[in-house]
Amino acid sequence: MSTDDTITFTLDDHLGRPTAQSSFPGRRSLVFFGFTHCRTVCPRALDRLDRALDLLGEDAAAFQPLYVTVDPDRDDPERMRWFLRDRPRFLGLSGTPRQLEDTRRAFRAFAKRKDDPQDPDGYAVPHTALTYVLDDAGRLLTHLADAMTADEVATALRGVLRDDPATDSIPSDDGCCSAGDGPCDCCGGE
Amino acid sequence: MTLTVDEFAASVGHYQREGVDAVQRGHIRHIDNLSRRLPNDWSGMGSRSNGQDDFASLRYQLAYAAIALALAHRYRLPAAPGVFKGTFDRLIQKMILPEVWMYWRNTSTGQAVFNAHIPMESEWDPVRRDNIMYSAYVQVMTLLFAYLFDDDRYSVPGSISFRHWAFSWGGEEKRFDYDQNSLNELIYWKMVESGYVGVACEPNCVFQICNQLPLLGFRLHDFLSGGQRAAEVERGYRKAWDDFGRLDTEGRYNLLLLEDSQQMLTNDATEVWGDAWAGTVLNMLNRDLVREHYPEQIRRLLVDGPDGTLSIRPLTSTPLLGHDLFEDHGDFGWAAAWAAEVGDTSTRDRLLRFADARLAPTWVDGGLFYPRSDDSTDEDGYHRLVDPLTGNSLLALARLDVPDGLWGLYHLPREPHSATAPAVVEVDRSIDVARAFVDDEGDLQTTIGTAAAKPAASARIGRLPAEGRWSLERDGLVVARGRSERADSSDPDVAYVGGELIVTPRSPEERYVLHVD
Repeated sequence: MSTDDTITFTLDDHLGRPTAQSSFPGRRSLVFFGFTHCRTVCPRALDRLDRALDLLGEDAAAFQPLYVTVDPDRDDPERMRWFLRDRPRFLGLSGTPRQLEDTRRAFRAFAKRKDDPQDPDGYAVPHTALTYVLDDAGRLLTHLADAMTADEVATALRGVLRDDPATDSIPSDDGCCSAGDGPCDCCGGE
Repeated sequence: MTLTVDEFAASVGHYQREGVDAVQRGHIRHIDNLSRRLPNDWSGMGSRSNGQDDFASLRYQLAYAAIALALAHRYRLPAAPGVFKGTFDRLIQKMILPEVWMYWRNTSTGQAVFNAHIPMESEWDPVRRDNIMYSAYVQVMTLLFAYLFDDDRYSVPGSISFRHWAFSWGGEEKRFDYDQNSLNELIYWKMVESGYVGVACEPNCVFQICNQLPLLGFRLHDFLSGGQRAAEVERGYRKAWDDFGRLDTEGRYNLLLLEDSQQMLTNDATEVWGDAWAGTVLNMLNRDLVREHYPEQIRRLLVDGPDGTLSIRPLTSTPLLGHDLFEDHGDFGWAAAWAAEVGDTSTRDRLLRFADARLAPTWVDGGLFYPRSDDSTDEDGYHRLVDPLTGNSLLALARLDVPDGLWGLYHLPREPHSATAPAVVEVDRSIDVARAFVDDEGDLQTTIGTAAAKPAASARIGRLPAEGRWSLERDGLVVARGRSERADSSDPDVAYVGGELIVTPRSPEERYVLHVD
């Protein structure tokens, strides 16, 4: 996979709305795979992304964080909405096992269910902890390693804005395309 | 005791001043001789299996010969790129010849002993799916070339081109174009996709050993292009193998993970290569683990030889599914290379003395190698088998490596001046270079020679300072002086041409010092 590759996906957000890579015109998607029963990797990564976006100030609106489940058996839109209730920037994406498998493959992300006696349901789903940065055409702009700090993530995201300045739609104060609201109609989203 | 990165970097000066002795030069020259064979002349490189199917096949010989050269250049002759660059490039060119990688067309179909249940489609492209036992070595060799020689020829799109066309079969040409960056990227994403446990060699078989090499590739790419890929993948790789288990219950390195069943296969307790090969390359990443287990692991595998030497237990065929499985693994060579890499110089030297006494060291055209022998034992019952990986590449690697040399390749970027400081940039084939380094004063110190019987041959000293004065001494006497782009020399064996000095030695060892004011 290289920065010339285009990644496409179609899933449902945590409000039940169809969501694709093109759903956020003029913004970049920050795509992170995980599952809501994850005890360590996901909470840490989502916290880090949140802090990094805080550090960006107004520029944070140029990014839409997406949390894509790798656990279709447990993570439906309702569960995703509940899990992300304190993270208003994030949209949780879920779908059928087939949709999620296709999406994961498109991102070359790893996820494999394994037994976990510490989990109430007896399993966990170890997964790739990269954060993928896509433009609204699904072009992979860069990806961020799990070991990066919030400061480093913020620096990398500033680099994305510098190297790939926003094109048409700039997020506005009236809520159009604003974080957490998901796809919208006013700027051509789905 | 292991050295820190800074301590290791400081210790390298010792090996530079030492240079290479006649035996080490013999190994370098043999590798050069192999590299100069005409295309598809693989004489002296055939192993026992059919179809490049064992661990001494051409890809391993070429790759570890290149790594041996990299170690020699990096630590022992850093200011002599001219000794290594052409050879290294020819090894790469051989590595991408169809005879080296066409086994994949068959091996990609699966149905190996462990995998009879998974027949797969035949795949021509030797790097796209699985086959890290080939792709990682092409990745490492091409990135080492850029790292060592500051030459980006393999970054040109299509510069790594796997091509095959035959008159008599197969239809249209098969052609798969890559470069050092696209290949690195391809392998990186395959590692990500695997959860960092690694990419399969044969379908379904993820070997612990072979998946350490791409990490060196990622690190070299990070050195060259920036980024932290190696650290990211190493972290995931360590965790994945810690989870699955690096060692079996006997304290030996686990061999491979079956992708579909997630079953770990241990290595055969009677053979040396599993622990020795894994230990050699794992030292690059995790010296503490290697050193913790090395004493007990190698104790089980070595036996006393005559006259204070050490050897390995004689190898026998393994009965399997009604067949006698004879395969070459590089067992003896890996034992010596392992001892060299972990700094067990005594064991390495005792093994090499055994090789010199019992494994028929042979000099041809100035090159030293140990010719293949399929005999398991000699008349005294000692190990006698020599596979071509051992004889051509691994004993060379064992002699040319320095303690933690692979570890150093993984951790040390090139010195900033390495591509610009004065150096021996080109040598005729019959020139020997015994020393070549830039000392603390910035002077090039080199010992160049040629056998008296050879016709006149020369070496080229380049990267002279563009400004300021310089002088060249030979055996303590000034033989040339220069300033900017002008130079004077009355010595008939020293010429200044095109901004470089061409020296023509008349004896086996002449010491040159290029003083830079």
